[in-house]
Amino acid sequence: MSNTLIGLIGLIALVVLIFTRMPIGFLMAIIGFIGFGAIVSTDAALHLIVNDIFSAFASYNLTVIPLFVFMGQLAFHSGISGRLFDVAYKFIGRLPGGLAIATIGACAGFSAICGSTNATAATMGAACLPEMKRYNYKPGLATGVVAAGGSLGILIPPSVVFIVYGILTEQSIGKLFIAGILPGVLLTIMFMASVLIWVRLNPELGPPGPKSTIKEKLKSLAGLGEVIVLFSMVMGGLFAGIFTPTEAGGIGAFGTLVISLIRRKLDWKGFTAALGETTRISCMIMMIVAGATIFGHFMAVTRIPFDIAQWIAGFDLHRAVVMLMIIGVFLVGGCFIDALALIMLTIPIFYPVVIHLGYDPIWFGVIIVMVTQIGVITPPVGINVYVVSGVARDVPLEVIFKGVVPMLIALIIATLLLIPFPQIALFLPSLVR
Amino acid sequence: MQRIEKILTSVSEKFNVVAAVSVVLIMTVIVVDVVLRFFRHPIPGTIDIVGLLGSLVISFSLGYTSIQKGHIAVEFLYDKLPEKARGVIGAINELVGTVFFAILAWQSFIFALKLKASGEVSPTIQMPTYPFVFGIAVSCALLSFILALNFARETRGVLKK
Repeated sequence: MSNTLIGLIGLIALVVLIFTRMPIGFLMAIIGFIGFGAIVSTDAALHLIVNDIFSAFASYNLTVIPLFVFMGQLAFHSGISGRLFDVAYKFIGRLPGGLAIATIGACAGFSAICGSTNATAATMGAACLPEMKRYNYKPGLATGVVAAGGSLGILIPPSVVFIVYGILTEQSIGKLFIAGILPGVLLTIMFMASVLIWVRLNPELGPPGPKSTIKEKLKSLAGLGEVIVLFSMVMGGLFAGIFTPTEAGGIGAFGTLVISLIRRKLDWKGFTAALGETTRISCMIMMIVAGATIFGHFMAVTRIPFDIAQWIAGFDLHRAVVMLMIIGVFLVGGCFIDALALIMLTIPIFYPVVIHLGYDPIWFGVIIVMVTQIGVITPPVGINVYVVSGVARDVPLEVIFKGVVPMLIALIIATLLLIPFPQIALFLPSLVR
Repeated sequence: MQRIEKILTSVSEKFNVVAAVSVVLIMTVIVVDVVLRFFRHPIPGTIDIVGLLGSLVISFSLGYTSIQKGHIAVEFLYDKLPEKARGVIGAINELVGTVFFAILAWQSFIFALKLKASGEVSPTIQMPTYPFVFGIAVSCALLSFILALNFARETRGVLKK
């Protein structure tokens, strides 16, 4: 059997067996192990798994994941989310659809200290949904903006997806973080615009909220302070080259802890809950990373990624067509497979193709994050929608999926905008050395 | 079987405490190092310490994460299968997982012994690395036991019907 054939069997086995509910990280490790063994030798495969697992688990660079997850969890358990919503609410709550717009603004703010979509959606759902309900917002709009706004968690730095992408492709995590800022701002504005349009078409969806005085507005601004402090500390240190990403994560988590303690918003129970969630989420992510590393080594010895890159180049298609096809694969795949796992599965195959076509690796990272955002809000496995439905138990899933549609349109437009205008992602990183 | 389950759950939770403490330690080491760096006295070997503690975070939370059903899997088609088919597929998966993590535990154990014999240490502060590889071996063994228990449960469920 030729190596290419073994590789293809491995790939097909992975795609089929993934639907048996085997944890994705385990499955990638097991198929990678068997495939590597079939091509090289059993001894080499045994050596490979032990080495890959140990070097992934004990990697200094990957320790950034538990740290940023911990930071987000601390922010979640100490109510920073509620204060963020309060600011946005005081300023734009009285517009039609204003509370929904405020929710998106607050999600963007929380994303600046949290690196995952589901933590952002869960946090902001708990803070914003009751308010919108109180002012008779239709459940579809209310839950839709939380699910979509929560997806900003991975575009606006810090971001677990950027970290994982950066490590798999050996790109600078700092640059990836910076590249996410402008698209994040653009997308936030586009989300807000789509709420405005939607509410204009159907004013009953989101009636205007209460007015607030200038004094109340100014007072609420204090809630923004801690996020600005944390964000500028973490990102500033990273941009200035004072911190490595791992150090930025450690400093960020510590800063969040200190602020929560000073404000007396975090008790022992909240602290241990944050830690428990941190180890669970980190372990899940790292198991997928380790599995993807083993699978990637298997793919590398089959040379399939290079063959595919050559094969696609042979068609002589315009590179934008190839990019649209890759985005299409993510959109379809993202409907069925967890978004983070999908990235890990496909990066070893798509990345060489994309680089071969002359695309910028940092830019492609931003594209990957944005298609992941689409993946987390599309049925049937849009994780953010499930998270929101966990918070809003009285709203049926279909209603949330429908509520997401206008945001989804904005998200797709924003992603496509990045193809002709890569500067949106690349301008800020170009300023950094 | 319930007794075994109780023991495994309790061990996993204790292991997870090790992981959680490691998260706090990593954060502390980094903060202290960054602060001391301002006074030109950084902690030597911070990168080694953080990396090795990081391995404790992930390996010691493997069992707990599995018990909490925290490892991401695709449930989309599986949920639409008839109950018996789900049971059979589930049992096979648990068995495959049990074997794989048993192999991983055994190989990590051998690797740790080798590292110990050769006196392998971390690059900057000469901290021995083998205890952390032992940690991975023990954690993989625990995960293998948990998966074996799941296998027994699934098989029982299938046979009962």
